[in-house]
Amino acid sequence: MIEVRDLTKDYGPHRAIHALNFTVKKGDVVGFLGPNGAGKSTTMKIITGFMAPTSGTARIAGFDVFESPLEVKKRIGYLPETPPVYTDMYVRDYLRYVARLKGMEKNRIEKSIDRAVEKTSLGDVQKRLIGHLSKGFRQRVGIAQAIVSDPDVLVLDEPTVGLDPKQMHEIRELIRELRGQHTIILSTHILPEVQATCERAIIINKGRIVAEDSIANLATLEKGRSRLFVRLRREVGDLGAVLSDIDGVMGVESGSSNREWRVNLRGNEDTVDAVSSRLVSQGYGLLEFSPSKVDLEDVFLKLTYGQSRGGEA
Amino acid sequence: MRGTLVIAGKELRGFFASPTFYVMLFLITLIMSYIYPIQLTLFNQMLMSYVMQPGMPQQQLNIHYGLFLRLLSYLNLMLIFIVPALTMKLIAEEKKMRTFDLLLTSPVKSVDIVLGKYLAALGAILGIMGVAFLYPLVTASFATVNWAPLVISFIGIFLVAGVYAAMDLFCSSLTESALVAYVMSVMMNVSIWFIGLSAEVVDSQKARQVFEHLSLNTHLAGLVEGTVRTSGLVFLLSLVILFIFLAERVVESSRWRA
Ligand SMILES: Nc1ncnc2c1ncn2[C@@H]1O[C@H](COP(=O)(O)OP(=O)(O)O)[C@@H](O)[C@H]1O
Ligand SMILES: [Mg+2]
Repeated sequence: MIEVRDLTKDYGPHRAIHALNFTVKKGDVVGFLGPNGAGKSTTMKIITGFMAPTSGTARIAGFDVFESPLEVKKRIGYLPETPPVYTDMYVRDYLRYVARLKGMEKNRIEKSIDRAVEKTSLGDVQKRLIGHLSKGFRQRVGIAQAIVSDPDVLVLDEPTVGLDPKQMHEIRELIRELRGQHTIILSTHILPEVQATCERAIIINKGRIVAEDSIANLATLEKGRSRLFVRLRREVGDLGAVLSDIDGVMGVESGSSNREWRVNLRGNEDTVDAVSSRLVSQGYGLLEFSPSKVDLEDVFLKLTYGQSRGGEA
Repeated sequence: MRGTLVIAGKELRGFFASPTFYVMLFLITLIMSYIYPIQLTLFNQMLMSYVMQPGMPQQQLNIHYGLFLRLLSYLNLMLIFIVPALTMKLIAEEKKMRTFDLLLTSPVKSVDIVLGKYLAALGAILGIMGVAFLYPLVTASFATVNWAPLVISFIGIFLVAGVYAAMDLFCSSLTESALVAYVMSVMMNVSIWFIGLSAEVVDSQKARQVFEHLSLNTHLAGLVEGTVRTSGLVFLLSLVILFIFLAERVVESSRWRA
C-alpha cells in the first residue's frame, strides 16, 4: 500500500532523511518511531504529497506521489502535527467541507460524517464551533477529518502530542478501533504509543531507519537476553560478587535500595534456576523473583540514543 | 473545477456568516447615506442655478453625471480599503493556522485554491455593490433614471474591484500575516489607481500614453461614463488574469519549498 524507495530530503545543506526504504502492506498498522528531529514529519509530508522529496520515490496504492498527486491525495487521510481545523467553523460543517474537498460523492457524504463523528465520539460537540473546543477535542476533530473521506491510508503525525494522559489514552483507543479499516502509519516519539496501537514499528533516528520489525520481534531483538527482578529481605552489599561465578550472569544493577536488584542474564532456564538456588542457599530472604524480557524501551533507547538502560558489560 | 466550487462555497459562506462582513456593509451604508443626500442637494442646487443662469455645460445636468458618478467615485474610494479587508485572510490566515496543509494535501490543484478564493471575494464584492445599488433604485422612485449607463458604470466599478481582489489575493498569498497583507494590498490598490498621475508630469508623448494605459482611472472613466471600450475591458481582465496567475505560482511553489 505504501512503498518508499530511497527517499531523501534536504533542507538546504541539512539532510533530514537519508535514502529511506520501507513498505507498508494493506491493512497494516505501523508505528514510525523516533526521537524529535529524526525526520518523521518530513517523511509523512512527502508520503502525503504535501512536499516534494529531493530524490527517491513514494507510492501509495501504486500511484507515485510526485507523478499523480491527485490520485494519491484522494486515497489519503492526513493528520498533520497541528490539526488543520478552522476555528470559525462548526465541527459538522468542517467535516462536510473536508469530505467535499476530498471529492466524495454527494450521496455518501452525510453518512460518512456520521461515521467519523461516531468513531471519534464527537456526537455531543458536532454543532459547536471548533474554536470553542478543548485541545483534546480539536485533536479528535483532526482525526475525524482524516477518516471522513474513508481513505485507504491514514497518516497520523504525532496524534497524541500535547494531550493529557486521559486524552492520550482515548486517542490510542480510537486508533486501535480504526485498525482493520485503514492502512495506518502513525509517527510518535513515545514508545508506549507504538506498543499500544501498532503491530509493527519502524524505528528512525537522524534520518535513517535503524530497525524495522514486528513489536514482538523488536522486543527480543537481542536474542536470549533476559532480566530478573529480585527483592530480598536482607541488604546485600554487592550481589554481583555473589552471582559472578554463575555461567550466563551478565551483570547486576541495584534498584531503589540494596534490597532490590536487577540481574541481566544471557542463557536459558538453567541460569535462572542457578540464580534462584544461590539466593535461597545464601539465606538472603528471597521475597520476589520475577523474570522479564528486555523491554522494548531498552531496544529503542539503544537504537536511537546509542545507550541502553541496563548498564551491563 | 470541483475544487474551485467547493472552496468558493466555503469562503462565501464564511463571508456571509461573519459579523465583520455585516459591520462593513453597515458602515458602507452609513457613509453612502451620509453622502447621498448631500450630493442630491448639490445636484438640486445646480439645477436651480441653471434655471437662473443658463449656459452651463449640458452634461453636468444629467443625473447620471451630476449624482451617480459622484456616488460611484466614493464607492470606488471605499473599495480601495474594503476589498483588502475581504481578501487579506484568504490565504495568509490559512498559512498561519496551518489549515493550508489540508488544502495542499487535498486532491485539488493550486489554481482551484486561488480561483475558489477569488470567486468568493467577487461574491462578497457583489454583495457590497448590491447595497450600493439601492441608492439609484430609491432615486428611481422620484426621478427618471437612465438605466443603461448606470448599469454599465456599476459593471465598471465591479471590474475595477475585481482587479483589486486579484491583486489583494496575491498579496495575501505572499505572507502569513493578515495585517501585512492588508497594508500591501491597500498600497497596491492606491498605486494602480494613481499611476495615471504620472501621465501628467512626464514630457514624452509615448510615456504619457503608457501611463495613461496603465491607469485604472483612464479605463474606469470610459466605463463609468457608460461607454464600453474593448481596450479597457481587455486591460482590466488581463490584470485580473496576471495576478491570479501570480498567486497560483506562489501557492504552487509552497508545495515544493519546505
Ligand atoms: N522547514 C524546515 N527547514 C529546515 N529544516 C527543517 C525543516 N523542517 C524540519 N527540518 C529539520 O529536519 C529534521 C527532521 O525534522 P522532522 O521531520 O520535523 O522531525 P520529527 O518530525 O521526527 O521530529 C530536523 O533536524 C529539523 O530541524
Ligand atoms: Mg514531527
